[in-house]
Amino acid sequence: MRTIRRLAKSVSVFVTVSMLSLVVPYQSCLAAVIGTETALDVARGQEARQYLEGVLAREVVQKALTAQGIDPKEAERRVEGLSNAEVVRLAKKVEELPAGGDALGAIIFAGLFVFVVLLVTDILGYTDVFPFVK
Amino acid sequence: MLARRADFGSGFHSGQSNQFQAYLAFLLFIAINLMFIGCAMPQRKWPQPGEHLPSRHELESVPFYPQKAFHCGPATLAMALAWSGIRADTDTVAPEVFTPSIKGSLQPAMIAAARRHGRIAYPISGPVAMLMEVSAGHPVVVLQNLGLSWKPVWHYAVVVGYDLDQGIVIVHSMNTPRKRLSLRVFENTWARSGHWGLLVLPPTRLPATATQHDFVSAVVGLEKAGQYQAAVQGYKTALVRWPDSLGAHIGLGNSYYALGDKRSAEAAFRQASRRFPTNGSAFNNLAQVLWELGKHQEALEAARKAVKLGGPLVNRYRETLQQIQAGER
Repeated sequence: MRTIRRLAKSVSVFVTVSMLSLVVPYQSCLAAVIGTETALDVARGQEARQYLEGVLAREVVQKALTAQGIDPKEAERRVEGLSNAEVVRLAKKVEELPAGGDALGAIIFAGLFVFVVLLVTDILGYTDVFPFVK
Repeated sequence: MLARRADFGSGFHSGQSNQFQAYLAFLLFIAINLMFIGCAMPQRKWPQPGEHLPSRHELESVPFYPQKAFHCGPATLAMALAWSGIRADTDTVAPEVFTPSIKGSLQPAMIAAARRHGRIAYPISGPVAMLMEVSAGHPVVVLQNLGLSWKPVWHYAVVVGYDLDQGIVIVHSMNTPRKRLSLRVFENTWARSGHWGLLVLPPTRLPATATQHDFVSAVVGLEKAGQYQAAVQGYKTALVRWPDSLGAHIGLGNSYYALGDKRSAEAAFRQASRRFPTNGSAFNNLAQVLWELGKHQEALEAARKAVKLGGPLVNRYRETLQQIQAGER
C-alpha cells in the first residue's frame, strides 16, 4: 500500500510539474507599457475564471458538489485560490471532458468536473480529498 | 506473480493481499492500454483528397541546397528562408541553429533562427495540417527519425509536394532534390518525431491552418526576437482575419512603440481600448503613449480608467497613473 501511495505521489508530482512547466512565466519589464504576452496571459486567465465560474454555477454541478459533501461556495473559493496559469490549465482540462447534451450527459460531465477540480486542487495542496495524492 | 510481490517487499501486509492484487491488476490494465495506444499512433490515417484538399500539389519555387555532414537543420531552414524571400544559405544559417556537441539542430533553435530573420515560425503537427499547407503553397520543414525509436537518427527535410493518388510525399532531403517517398515510409519516420512540422512564412502570409491563438503567439515571438517591423506586419495580418484579437491590437501598439513610432502606437492602443473597453492594459498603454506625446490631460484620463478597471495588473496601472500625476506637478 505504502509503495503504491509513494508511486502515486511521485506520479502526481511529476504530472503537476510538467503541467506547470508548459506555462510561459511572466516577463518582468520596467517600462510602464504592458507587454503583449503579459496582457494576453492576464486576459486568458480572466476568461478561464469566468468560464469555470459559469460551470460551477450550473445546477447539476452544484448537486454533484453537494453529493461529494462540498459546499458550492467552497468550490468557488478553491478555484479563486488558483493562479492564472493553474486556472487556464484547469479550464482546458474541463473543456476536454465529454460534455453530453442530454440530461445523463450533463450529470456525467458534472461528476467528472467535480473530480477534475478536486484532483487539481488536491495536488496543489489546496484541498485534501484523495488519499493517493499524499 | 510471486516474484513481483517480492519486488515490492516491505510495506506489504498479508491482510491487504486481495486489495493489493486488485491494485496490481489495475496498474497492469492501464499499462496494457498505454502500450496499445503507443502502437496505434504510427498508423494514423492520412486524409483522402476532397474539396479542401487537392489530390496532388507540387511547389516549384522552393530552392534546393544540398546538405553538408550533419547540417540538415541549417540546409532545410535556409531553403525555407530562401523560399520566403530572405537571402540565406546553409553556411550563414548554420551558426544560428547548429549545436556542434550534439551534431544537430534543436527545434527551438530552428524556430528562433527563423524569427531572427523576421519570419513567422509557425509549428504544425500531423498529416492533415501538412498537406493543407503544401496545397496552399507553403513548404513544410519536417523532423523525421530515420532510425528506431530507441536509437534515433534525427533528420530534417522540406516537404515540397505530395501525390495522394500515387501515395507519395515529395521532399528536398539530404543530397536529393524532389525525392519521392512512399507515404508509408514517410509516415513511419515522421511519426517518431510526433509529426513535428514548421512553417517559415513572411509576416504578411497567414498559414492555411492558422488559429488565432497560435498565429498571434508566433507574432509575439517576432516581437521577442526584436523584429518589430516584421511584428507590425504580422499583427496587421492577424487583424485582417481576426479583427477582435486582443493580442494583435495590443501587440501592434507595442511594436510601433518599440519602433519609436508613437503616433501609430497611439492609434493602435486607442483602437484596442475602443474594442476592449474593459481591458485595463489597453488603457494603461494608451495612457503611457499619450503622456510621452505630451497629451497630459488625455493621458491622465486613460490612466485613471485603467486603474478603475483594475484586474491582476492594477499595481502596474497605478504606477503609470502616479508617474503621470508626478509629471503634471
